[in-house]
Amino acid sequence: MSRTAVSPMLVRLAAEKATGALLRDHGTLYLVDGRVVHAESPAAPGVDVLLTTGGRLPREGWDEAVDRAGAHRAVGRFLVDSGRLHGGELEICHLGAVFDAAFFALSPTSGPTRFRYGVGHWFGTVRPVSAEAVERETVRRRELLDAVWPYASVDTAPVVPRPPSPGQTVGARQRSLLAAADGERTPAELARLLGRPAFHTLLDVRRLAAAGLVETPLDPVPAPPPPAPLSALPVEDPDIALLRRLRDALEAL
Amino acid sequence: MPGIDECLLEAMALPGARGASLVDWTSGLALGTAGDSPVGDHETTAAETAELARSAAEFDSFTAGDSVTAGGERPGPPVEDLIVTTRAGYHVLRFVETSFDSSVFLHLWLDRDSGNLALARIRLRDLAERLVLG
Repeated sequence: MSRTAVSPMLVRLAAEKATGALLRDHGTLYLVDGRVVHAESPAAPGVDVLLTTGGRLPREGWDEAVDRAGAHRAVGRFLVDSGRLHGGELEICHLGAVFDAAFFALSPTSGPTRFRYGVGHWFGTVRPVSAEAVERETVRRRELLDAVWPYASVDTAPVVPRPPSPGQTVGARQRSLLAAADGERTPAELARLLGRPAFHTLLDVRRLAAAGLVETPLDPVPAPPPPAPLSALPVEDPDIALLRRLRDALEAL
Repeated sequence: MPGIDECLLEAMALPGARGASLVDWTSGLALGTAGDSPVGDHETTAAETAELARSAAEFDSFTAGDSVTAGGERPGPPVEDLIVTTRAGYHVLRFVETSFDSSVFLHLWLDRDSGNLALARIRLRDLAERLVLG
């Protein structure tokens, strides 16, 4: 893997087997012995949203787990030990949330990157992932989005459905996404509403946009062009029409 | 059975098993892997099998009129498994049903001569259930 590192600092911290929190503009990665054990981003729904939205866990069940085990940094473990979740469910849900948040946390930024040694997360360790795997997956996800539909403007704009062509169908997951798209909600808001990872929602929105089922907003709203001196000439100016006719006549010779 | 690794190890104990993984079919991410990949890279195999699984899970021909069963509407695709037979092997993709929003399946790659497809299908169904139901 000779690709440029997504975060040179993460590579260095992994090499020195550091433990602590890597703070970036769009999220935080938590490391234990250089491996990623947790990630958070304001752009990505947390494990609590993923588990409670679909009704897998009542909100009180989650809150109680945080109350009882948060101080020991063992909320994940507690959810399983207390019978609220099964081990496989926790791993599937938590890994999904970690890669999701890491994708946003590692997004390109000009802001500062800081590392706080020794800081842990109250959720605790479930299934550590190598920093290299997280970086690789983040790069793969960026490339995947652009391979599907290379217009990043759909990632942050409100999702506006378009009518399907005759006979055009979509799968159940995309159908429920379109049903929740009221023309105002952004992909991140839809992810939270549906209790789905945010990257999955971005990917589905790009797929829908590629299929013409979601509007693709024009890339950054173009700045108003500076008033050009030529614009003073009205197109319908009779002299211009005369000149065009003259040119056409000359070309026809 | 506590988690993903134990589940994959059990799958690898099946006769003729060459590789196993747990894959997210929306993103193509391998959540866990064991044994070998047919192309020498589990991540590539995960991305490729995810495309196949996604097609099966989303095309109307496989799902129409099937999502509502006697037990009422259930989350997740009604597709249970996919089997791809090649000259040298079998691939069984078994969808895992969770009661929160997810899109994962188990992929088991079997040697054609020493593998037992019927047994593998039954065991994978069982593993997929125990992975999330304990």
